Amino acid sequence: MHLGMVATVFLWAQSLCAAQPLHFENDILPILGRHGCNSSGCHGKAEGQGGFKLSVFGSDPDADFMAIVMEMRGRRVFASVPEESLLLRKGSGRMAHGGGTKLAFRGEDYLVIRDWVASGMPRGASDAPFVTSLHIEPPSRTMGQKASQQLVVFARYSDGSQKDVTRHARFQTNAESVATVTPGGLTTTLEAPGEAAIMAGYQGEVGLFRVLVPQPGSQKINKQPQFNFIDKHVDTKLANLNVLPSEICSDTDFLRRAFLDITGTLPTPDQTRRFLTDKSPAKRQKTIESLIIQPEYADMWAMRWADLLRVDREPLGHQNAFAYYTWIRDSIAANKPLDQFARELVTAEGPSADVGPAHFYKVVTKPGDIASTLSQVLLGVRITCAECHHHPFDRWRQSDYYGMTAFFNPGTVKHPRTQAVIHAHALGTAMPATTPQGDKRLVLADWMARTDNPFFARNMANRIWAWMLGKGLVEPVDDVRATNPPSNAELLDALANYLITNNFDARKLITLIASSRVYQTSVTPNSSNEKDDRNFSRGYFKRPDAEVLLDMICQTLGVPEKFQGSPTAARAVQVWDSKVRHDFLKRFGRPSRVTACECERTREPSVSQVLNLLNSTLIQDKITHEGGNISLLTRRIADDNELIGEMYLRFYSRLPSETERAAALSHLKKSAAGRRQAAEDLAWAMLNSSEFLFNH
Amino acid sequence: MHPFCDGRSRRDAIRLGTVSLFGANIGLERLLCARESGKSKKDVSLIFIFLHGGQSHLDTFDLKPDAPAEFRGEFAPGQTTIPGLKICNLLPKMSQCTDKYSLIRSFRHHNSDHGPADHFMLTGYFPAAGFNPSLNPNNQRPSVGSIVSRMLGATGSVPAYVTLPKVHPSGGPAYLGANHAPFVIDADPSSPNFSVPDLVPPPTIASNRIDDRRSLLQTIDRFHKSAEEKANSQAGAISTFRDKAFNLMTSRQAKKAFDIHAEPDKLRNDYGRNSLGQSCLMARRLVEAGVRCVTIDHSNWDTHDANFSVLKNTLLPVYDSAMSALFRDLADRGMLDSTLVVATGEFGRTPRINANAGRDHWGPAFTVLLGGGGIKGGVVVGKTDARAEKPISDPHGPENLFATMFSLMGIDPKEEIHMPDGRPVALVNNGKVIQELV
Repeated sequence: MHLGMVATVFLWAQSLCAAQPLHFENDILPILGRHGCNSSGCHGKAEGQGGFKLSVFGSDPDADFMAIVMEMRGRRVFASVPEESLLLRKGSGRMAHGGGTKLAFRGEDYLVIRDWVASGMPRGASDAPFVTSLHIEPPSRTMGQKASQQLVVFARYSDGSQKDVTRHARFQTNAESVATVTPGGLTTTLEAPGEAAIMAGYQGEVGLFRVLVPQPGSQKINKQPQFNFIDKHVDTKLANLNVLPSEICSDTDFLRRAFLDITGTLPTPDQTRRFLTDKSPAKRQKTIESLIIQPEYADMWAMRWADLLRVDREPLGHQNAFAYYTWIRDSIAANKPLDQFARELVTAEGPSADVGPAHFYKVVTKPGDIASTLSQVLLGVRITCAECHHHPFDRWRQSDYYGMTAFFNPGTVKHPRTQAVIHAHALGTAMPATTPQGDKRLVLADWMARTDNPFFARNMANRIWAWMLGKGLVEPVDDVRATNPPSNAELLDALANYLITNNFDARKLITLIASSRVYQTSVTPNSSNEKDDRNFSRGYFKRPDAEVLLDMICQTLGVPEKFQGSPTAARAVQVWDSKVRHDFLKRFGRPSRVTACECERTREPSVSQVLNLLNSTLIQDKITHEGGNISLLTRRIADDNELIGEMYLRFYSRLPSETERAAALSHLKKSAAGRRQAAEDLAWAMLNSSEFLFNH
Repeated sequence: MHPFCDGRSRRDAIRLGTVSLFGANIGLERLLCARESGKSKKDVSLIFIFLHGGQSHLDTFDLKPDAPAEFRGEFAPGQTTIPGLKICNLLPKMSQCTDKYSLIRSFRHHNSDHGPADHFMLTGYFPAAGFNPSLNPNNQRPSVGSIVSRMLGATGSVPAYVTLPKVHPSGGPAYLGANHAPFVIDADPSSPNFSVPDLVPPPTIASNRIDDRRSLLQTIDRFHKSAEEKANSQAGAISTFRDKAFNLMTSRQAKKAFDIHAEPDKLRNDYGRNSLGQSCLMARRLVEAGVRCVTIDHSNWDTHDANFSVLKNTLLPVYDSAMSALFRDLADRGMLDSTLVVATGEFGRTPRINANAGRDHWGPAFTVLLGGGGIKGGVVVGKTDARAEKPISDPHGPENLFATMFSLMGIDPKEEIHMPDGRPVALVNNGKVIQELV
């Protein structure tokens, strides 16, 4: 066996230099790929271009061979007069070609195709070695500003051989503001410090080069403390970038932030006062530990999971949708280990309404949709592309997609092109020789919880991190792929490992995150980190979810909202049915739960949102409500100073500074229309300020 | 490789002219295109009327009286002011103003499914894999209004892109970002007490109080113009939008434009006291006030059942009054040359009548109407076959429609915008200007 391999390597190496017959897949397709002929915008489109269709990114070499050699009565290629072949005349721009000149006339690529045509268009041996992986030299580098590096891409073949394929690789950068790359693989950094990942693609495989451009100047000294391993990993990264973290946030900023992130509520004035007067150094820790066991925590995090798992009364009906939601909320309230939560979902069975998670399969019904939804939600991997073709930016092939689909398909699953039977197998694992016996889904559930599973724990850690910090370590959170690397891989690994060694305990992980200095960092930037938006050197503003924002308004003004059909829900976060009509929630981006994508919830601001906050009767009615807080406070508190303090505690969870107090006092005093109206205007202004509208 | 980066204005593009994008033969096209852009001296605005559901071409502008009964339907063609041009005789008012608009009878694309076809007709791009029509917005590519907003910008204190009476899910800005999202008038201008929601404070707030509140807000907000706001783009966006909102609230220009009640009853009646009629009238008011693109989402043209009675009793009379009044009104005010009007569904309807006396979805052939803004009047582009199933000459698709609209508005269809992942995308996907129309 070993000897045989050596022999093949030898032969293959020889074929590269000697005038061996050209191989369609290994020699011709890479040229078409490199020049974008088979890209999705050109001949790779579903309908082809100008009557000539290639498989997208060369995913179907047989069809491409047929299209080039056999279609159009063979006019695309003439073995007898190769340079008269349409393929070469059009490709080199000698004949009108919508795509322009792609191959330099009699350039190297042109000549390879010409020789292939002249030799009678050989298909090539079917057992020729194929590309199994790519790697880029160097794999990573720290570079200065405006520096260049030529990348070299090596393809490793199934026979163990290796070849420099730089000339035919496609390059792409993920951060054009940090580093660019030419079609020939020369990468150049610009002036902005930061990081970029440069991808090379060749024959369906991808490789990555990572460049880090530190902030220029002498190494800055970080004086911030480290509370746990999170801080260590973040500080290492920041030191590499020569970026200083912001300082620790104030007690009041911490309190409001932890309340909103963990429970979706604001602290009451009493809670804030108690926290501010508490002199214990452990008071932040005590707060986190008490918030994480509140029922509001379960409400808040159940809403997040209900979005992803698509609790929807339209396909399910009221009763079933409520049973489904109840399973989610109960699981969170009981702090069910995340692997068990996933296992119950993946293996849920039975039509009975008592099995909450079984309702998932009534919302998402087709095996392909189930496989891609669960991959996206539980593994953070999007495999939908691979339903029809090889994933253009990752290693997933159609066999991976159908391997996952097979777990949810009671029948036999076949590869749509080759018709070969595909047995159920999890992403990135080898296909077994037979289909697993019994309920195949158990195999998938076991695989997810394995300690060496590369996706599940990382995905859970990343999602929880993103929910707490406002941004994932992998972003978007549900698009994990080789070409979308985490901003801090060591931290992500450490968080995933923490989950695994702590029995997938979500509360423990949230507590750990909230206890880190990184979580407790101020939003006030310094001169070195104002542009950093992915390394957590400062606190990032978070637009609260539509439901949370509405609850904040109701809580602050002391006037609850009534929700149609949800008599028990006191707060918007508790409204389990995302189809309940509500103009404010719709306008501020509540998802309608038609996909499992985190992106369905939008936090994008709009003019109409701002107008709503400024002028809507919903807001104005709550401000002026006779039983509301502004009315109560102005009646109960005679002293303006005290009134202002109360309002600051309610809106901003802090006391006013002296300047702020003076400004508010002068506003209350000068108002001709009376104290109540002046207080209402103050409330309106506070509600519309960024300090109220954001979690910071 | 691509000569035009995001930051360059269309005027630069025109000046640079002939840099080759697709090889030597395209250089000329680009030059022509730039020249066309240069030709449009005045600012052209767009009113894009989307006949949501799909207007039947066989029962409006492309009748086939000689086709077998199961195709031709119940309606008869009628004469128009242009000799030889016949349209449905249930469109009497439209038949009297054929000099103001033209028809592309050979319009077609390859899709007959609402979601993707809508996206195709509203953005010029057919959606790629992973498209989810149920999202709102569902744009993989920016809508026509967002592109116009990005390329032409706002005039004065009115928004660049307004949509009414509701926003179509494919009406969003995609990667052009929040600044080019539509201003949505979430209300029907035909309702008796129509007003733009939340445009003005509740009546209990006197106008002098608004100014006080605004200055109080600036004093109170500790993040106003702060380093924190600068470092967090969403906070910056809220701040930008707040300024836009205050401008709108205090703009007499905007207030006037939105006040449809100021129109004389006679004119309101001419447009028709219904959603489409009053939306068209509102669109004219908005364009007059400086809005660059108004899109109207009008439902429901999806006549699977009782196609003929629905058209005859509701849709055609409404359409006939609204469209003819719009063209006449624009002409009367001298605005027709500077206002491009486009009316189209996402597709046509099946030539063969179904068992419910309805017609189903049909992408392979339909008619698009264009008028004003530099479009010649009375032109019919292309022909369909004997059953109006497919074009037999001059086939045109959304790309050519977008290229034509944009070049009339002085926007170079070949100009490229960079997506967030760095990919350059042309405003229009390889479209050509339809020369017979311009």
